[in-house]
Amino acid sequence: MSVAPLRLPFVSEDRIRQISRSLDEPGWLLQQRLIAAARVAELPAEGNQLFTPYHDLRAARLAESQPYAEIKVSGDSERAELPAGASAMLAVRGDTIVARSLGPDALAAGVVIDTFGAVLRDRPELLQDILQNGRTLPADDAFSQVACALWSHGVLIHVPAGVQLDAPIVIRHDPGEAGRGVISRTLLTLGEEASVRLLEEQGPGSHPAGRLDGSVDQRRLWWGTMEAVLDDGASLEVAGLQDFAQDTVAFVNRQATLGRSARLRWALASVGGLLHKSRIDNLLVGQGSSVQQVEIGFGDEAQLFDLTSYTRHIGEDTTGDLLSKGVFSGRSRGYIKGLIEIQRTARGTDSFLGEFSMLLARKARSVTIPSLEIDQPDVRRASHASSVAPIDETAIFYLMSRGLDRETARKTIVLGFLEPVVARIPLPEVAERLRDLLAAKWPAEAAAAAA
Amino acid sequence: MALSQRQMVDNDRSRFDFKDEIVYLTDTKRGLTRATVEEISRIKEEPDWMLQFRLRAYEHFLQRPMPVWTDGLDRIDFDKIIYYRKPSEREEKSWDDVPDQIKQTFERLGIPEAERKFLSGVGAQYDSEVVYHSVKEELTKLGVVFMGTDQGLKEYPEIFRKYFSTIIPPEDNKFAALNSAVWSGGSFVYVPPGVDVPLPLQAYFRINGENTGQFERTLIVVDEGASVHYIEGCTAPIYATDSLHAAVVEVVALPRAKVRYTTIQNWSNDVYNLVTKRAHAYEDSTVEWIDANTGSRKTVKYPSIYLRGRGATADIISVAVAGSGQHQDTGAKAIHLAPDTKSRIVSKSVSKDGGRATYRGHVKVAPGATNAVASVRCDALMLDDVSRSDTYPYIDIQEDDTALSHEATVGKISQDQVFYLMSRGLTENEAQNLIVQGFLEVFTKELPMEYAIEFNRLVKMEMEGALG
Repeated sequence: MSVAPLRLPFVSEDRIRQISRSLDEPGWLLQQRLIAAARVAELPAEGNQLFTPYHDLRAARLAESQPYAEIKVSGDSERAELPAGASAMLAVRGDTIVARSLGPDALAAGVVIDTFGAVLRDRPELLQDILQNGRTLPADDAFSQVACALWSHGVLIHVPAGVQLDAPIVIRHDPGEAGRGVISRTLLTLGEEASVRLLEEQGPGSHPAGRLDGSVDQRRLWWGTMEAVLDDGASLEVAGLQDFAQDTVAFVNRQATLGRSARLRWALASVGGLLHKSRIDNLLVGQGSSVQQVEIGFGDEAQLFDLTSYTRHIGEDTTGDLLSKGVFSGRSRGYIKGLIEIQRTARGTDSFLGEFSMLLARKARSVTIPSLEIDQPDVRRASHASSVAPIDETAIFYLMSRGLDRETARKTIVLGFLEPVVARIPLPEVAERLRDLLAAKWPAEAAAAAA
Repeated sequence: MALSQRQMVDNDRSRFDFKDEIVYLTDTKRGLTRATVEEISRIKEEPDWMLQFRLRAYEHFLQRPMPVWTDGLDRIDFDKIIYYRKPSEREEKSWDDVPDQIKQTFERLGIPEAERKFLSGVGAQYDSEVVYHSVKEELTKLGVVFMGTDQGLKEYPEIFRKYFSTIIPPEDNKFAALNSAVWSGGSFVYVPPGVDVPLPLQAYFRINGENTGQFERTLIVVDEGASVHYIEGCTAPIYATDSLHAAVVEVVALPRAKVRYTTIQNWSNDVYNLVTKRAHAYEDSTVEWIDANTGSRKTVKYPSIYLRGRGATADIISVAVAGSGQHQDTGAKAIHLAPDTKSRIVSKSVSKDGGRATYRGHVKVAPGATNAVASVRCDALMLDDVSRSDTYPYIDIQEDDTALSHEATVGKISQDQVFYLMSRGLTENEAQNLIVQGFLEVFTKELPMEYAIEFNRLVKMEMEGALG
C-alpha cells in the first residue's frame, strides 16, 4: 500500500516564480524551489512504508488552502520590546514580521536574525553555501519539500562561534487570518562551541478562529521548518509550545545536523490545532554528539497529532535519548511514530526511544510505532519501550488517601506524566502558561463530575 | 580475541540437507494458469464449491500487487514453479505400507523413533500430498480427527466447510490467495468438546524436488473445552534455484478450548517461506503460537491471534536465527476484539554472517475490547557487524482502560559473559553457544523434551565453526 503524492493547488510553477520574483531571489534559489516542487509532485505523501496505514490528512482540506504569497516587514519591527528574560525576539503575525529585535547581549555577540534575502545581500557567506547544499531538510519528505518550494518567509538565526547566550531567543508564530496561512523556513546555524536556547511559541493569534460548525469550514495553515546546523561543540536547546487555534492545520519539519560533540535538546509541547503533523530528523554525524528529545501532545475533541521522529546515528559514540508522551481525550487521536537507525559507522551508540500514551476517553485512539533499524551491534544501548495504560489506580488511591478528591487525583497524575517537558521550558511564565493550557485540556465532563 | 565472532560461528547448512530421487506419479506443468487450478481440483475430485473457491482466489492472486514493505519477493518466478505433484496414489494407513524410499527420508528426520516414544499421531507430508498417516486407536476412540486436509474435505464436509477460509480468506494477502488457489495437503484436525488430547499431534513437512512449490493448508478446529498441541517441523534439501512455500494455517479455538501450535521451521536456504497463520480465540480460550525460524532464504510470517471472545488469551513466542543470505521477517499479531482479553508476545532473534532479522508486530485493541492487557518483549542479538536487526512494532489502542507495555533491546554478546564462562573452562565458541542457547531458552523450554534437544542441537550446529 502506498500513499499518493500530495495534491496541492498552491504548488504551481507560476506561484513559485511569483514568490521568487517578489523576494528578488537569485536564479539558483528559484531553481531550488522548482526542484523541490518537482519532488512534491513525485513523492508519496508518506514515504515510509511502515507508517502509511496511519496517514490521515482528511481533516486538513489542503485543496482549499490559501497561504500568503508575500510577507511584509513592519516598520517598527526592530524596535519591538523584548519579553522579560529574552535575549532576542522574532515574531510573525499573519503576513507581517512584527518583531525582529536583539537585546544588547545578542547584539554585542554578533548574533544575526534576519530574512534570507537580507542575509544573502549583506552576509552571503553565512547562508549561501548551506542553502545551496540543500541538505538541511529531508529530500524524501514531501512536506519539507513543500516548505522548500513555497516559503514566503525565510529567516536565518546565526550564533557565531564561541558565543554563549544564557537568555533565550524567542520566536513567535501566528498563522494570521482564518482561511489563510504561512509557509516559512527557519534556519539556525551555531558556530563552534556556540550555545543558545530557543523558545518557539506557536500561538492562537489575534485573529478570530474560523467557523468549524457552519457551512464555511475554513482551515488556517501553518507550514514551517526549523533547520539547525550545529558546528563542533555547539549546544542548542529548543523549547516549543504549540497552542494554535482549533481551526489550524500545522505541518512542521525540524531537522538538526550535529557536529563533533555537539549537543541538542528538544522539549516540545503540542496542545492546539485541529491537525498537527510533525517530523523531526536528528542527524548525529559528529563523534560524541548527542540529542535529547522530549515531546508531549495533549489532544481532545477531534484533534489529531501525528508526531514522527527519525534519529540517525552516523558518527561514533553518539547518544540519542528520545521520549514522547501523549494524553488523548474526546475523540482525539495520537500517532506517535519513531525510528532509530544505527548505521554501520556508528560504533558505541547509546540510543533509547520511548513512546508512552494515556487514553482518557473511550473514543480516543493511540497508535505508537517505535522502530529500530540496526546495522552495527557494537552499541552501548539500543532499545525502545512503549506503553499505553490507564491512570494507575494505586496512585489515585494514594493521592485520595492524602485528601485529594478522585478527579483532582486523576488530573494531578496526568499533569505529572507530562511535567518532564513542562519543566524544560526556559521562561518560567511560559512554562506556567503551558501548565495552564494542559490543565484546561482536562475534559470538561470530568471537571463537571468532580464538582 | 584471536578470531572474529563471524569466523567462529561459521555455519554449513548443507549438513541438514539431503535429497532422494522420487518418482512422481502426477505433475501439473510448470507455471500457474486457470487451467492449472482446474486441473488440481479435477485430480482431487473436489466438490464444485472448492473449485469455485480456488478460481476466486486465483483471480485475486493475479490482481493483488506484490507487497512492497518487505524486499526480495520480486525474485520469485511464479512461472518456474510446479504447483501440484502427487507422489503416490493413496493415503497410507500404516507405517509398513509407506514406500521404502519415502520411509528412508522420514527415518533420517527421526519420525519413527519419535512416534514410538511420544507421539500420538503422524501426518507426514511428502511434497504435495499426505502419504503417511497414522492415528492411534486411542485418538479415534476419543473422536479426534487428524488427517490430511484433502481427506478432511471429503470425510468431514460439514465441519470443513463451516470453518475453511473463514479465518484467512483468499483476499487477505497475495500469498494467502496463491495458497487458496492451489492448496494441497496439510493437516485437518478436529477435537470434539471436552476432549483433552493427551499427547502432541505431529506432522513433518518436506519439500523435495527442485522447483516444487508446497502449498499446504492446515485447519484446526478445537471444540468447546477441548485441548490439543500440534507440532509442525520442516526441513528441505538444498537446490540452486528458488523454492516457494506458501502455507495457510487456520486455527479455531471455540469457548474454553486450549490450542498450542509449535513450529520449527528449518527450510533450506533457497526457500521463500511465506506463511499466513491465524487463530480465532473465542470466550475463555487460549491460543499459543510457539514459532521458531532458522531456515529458508526469506521467511515472511507473523502468527496472529484474533481475540474474539471475552476472557480469551493469546501467547506468542517467536524465535528467529538469520545467517548468511537469510532474511527472517517474522513477528506476531494480537488483535483484541473482546473485553477482558490478554496477549503476550515474546520475540527473540539472532542475526549473524550478514543475515537480517526483522521483527514486525501488531497489537491492536479495538473499540469495545475493554480491560485488555497486552505485553510485547523483543530482544535481538547480533553476532557481528555485517548483520542487521530491525524492529517494527505497531501498537494501536482504541480503549482507554487498556494496559499495554512494549520493550525491545538490541545488542551483541556480552564480552563480560564470554570472559566469565571462559574463566570457568569453556572455549570461546562454547561460551557463545551457551549464551545464545540461554538467550533462546524462552522458546526451548516450551518444547517437548525431544524437540528441545533437537532444537538445541540445531542451534549448536548453526553456531559451530572453525573452533567447534
